[in-house]
Amino acid sequence: MTTIISLTILGVLTLFLGIMKKQSWLLPVILLGLVVSMVLTLRDWNTFSSYYNGMIIVDNVSVAFSMALIFSAFLIFSLAAHYYRGVLRPLDDIYGVMIFALLGAVMMTSYGNLIMLFLGIETLSIALYVLAGSHKEAVTSNEATLKYFLLGSFLSGFLLFGIALIYGSSGSFDLGRISAFVTSCAGIYPPMFLAGLFLLIIGLAFKIAVVPFHFWAPDVYEGTPTLLTAFMATVVKTAAIIAMYRFFTHTFHGIHGVWDTTIWVMAALTILLGNLTGLYQPNLKRMLAYSSISHSGYMLLAVVAFSAMSDNALLLYTLSYSIATILAFAILILIREAHGNDYFSSLNGLAKTNPSIAFCLTIAMLSLAGIPPLAGFMAKYYLFTTALEQGLLWLVIVAIAGSAISVAYYFKPIMAMYLKESNGIKLMVETPYKVSIFFMALLVVLIGILPFLVIGLL
Amino acid sequence: MSAESLILFFIVGAFLVGFAIVFSIFVAPTSTNPQKAEPYECGIPTEGLTWLQFNVGYYLFAIIFLIFDVEAVFIFPWAVVMKEMGMIAFVEIVIFFFVLGLGLLYAWKKGALKWE
Repeated sequence: MTTIISLTILGVLTLFLGIMKKQSWLLPVILLGLVVSMVLTLRDWNTFSSYYNGMIIVDNVSVAFSMALIFSAFLIFSLAAHYYRGVLRPLDDIYGVMIFALLGAVMMTSYGNLIMLFLGIETLSIALYVLAGSHKEAVTSNEATLKYFLLGSFLSGFLLFGIALIYGSSGSFDLGRISAFVTSCAGIYPPMFLAGLFLLIIGLAFKIAVVPFHFWAPDVYEGTPTLLTAFMATVVKTAAIIAMYRFFTHTFHGIHGVWDTTIWVMAALTILLGNLTGLYQPNLKRMLAYSSISHSGYMLLAVVAFSAMSDNALLLYTLSYSIATILAFAILILIREAHGNDYFSSLNGLAKTNPSIAFCLTIAMLSLAGIPPLAGFMAKYYLFTTALEQGLLWLVIVAIAGSAISVAYYFKPIMAMYLKESNGIKLMVETPYKVSIFFMALLVVLIGILPFLVIGLL
Repeated sequence: MSAESLILFFIVGAFLVGFAIVFSIFVAPTSTNPQKAEPYECGIPTEGLTWLQFNVGYYLFAIIFLIFDVEAVFIFPWAVVMKEMGMIAFVEIVIFFFVLGLGLLYAWKKGALKWE
């Protein structure tokens, strides 16, 4: 709860720094504010309290995921000074809207009531529609925001109708009451409840970009300004997956049946199609978009394999995925600035001109592919063991096959960097930007070597 | 609620709506004349295309008006329970006004209220 209040105050403060013409204060205040709100979030650890008649329930899972979200946002803001250095217009509105999007994401990790879930998703989405179009002069950015807005608002309707049908059959928006209703059904659910559940899954799957509902993702990711694409691919995805996870863990308590077959099929399709389509992408940004689609398939494994361990596995997975993805996007920003495009040929010979940057991109790619000893491997290992313990043998086989396919496209940039001849353009990097890149690379290695830092938490 | 009643609901719903439309065609008195096809029965028809760009200022004003519109929606239920809640309700609504006021102040300072 203190997280939500502190982030609201930070967002308003950002806007008011803008109208007081204190542009140079913006980023220091935001970074400090995010640290403060992380500290305030940590104070809720082990308190297990609920606010406003169960509208918001703060437990250790929600605290841990809120921390992960704010930390990802912190990493993204640490890149913002470099990304926007040539922009003359005031940036307080973009930063403010980013913080409000983060606020929506935090609401989605700690909701105890479906109304709160919808409110969180809308706070997040409306902010994102604005952010996707925040580069007003670029046609691609306009296209991205229009596509995202039309599809997003349509799918929000699905979600809302799903919530209404669940309310109609169970008589409450409260997760605890719905859980009691599920228990009282004893396996035979009324059709209206099932229809509601189905629509709710569709609405959330759109936000996560899971396969039958993923078509918007590559186009929107490509058109959105790169820094904000990193925000979409990490913060938004983590928030949506934890919202789905929270719904099913709080209402079904491990009762398997109707819903997990649907998610099983969606996870398998996402992993296969995401990785196979990823093979054919001509540039790094679209490749990362498909990589993020296929990773949402792996994350769905945790939703299907709900058990005592899955909280931890999902936390480790989202954290390692987020850090590696932000790292990859950070280097993508540099490449787009230097070359004006991000085709794989632009990466040629980067190992000779900028060896340290090339090494960091290699770490990110290997971690996303799941090569030991990096964070991505440990995350996949824990996630797949959790799924195996729940008897999801075939899904794990599909996931491992998907990982094997993904190695092919994650090695494309690495081969371009190390084996091709250089085209002679050296990337210009300032020291603070380099520090945040190295910090993220270090984190990826550190989580890979010492996964118990995260895995023992929940 | 079982599946049968849900299906029945759809059938009855479709029938009733269809019935109302068809019934009104037969029952309602109809008279047609060229005047009826015009956009305004009184006044002059519009000149040129209506698909033109509107000044973005209208939208800004509409959005800022929304602040006060929503404010009014929240004040009515507040006024109903104010007596029972007492001081807490008062403090809450003051915080609410304060936040809305900040929004208006931001819009004002950003120049959204200036008509160009």
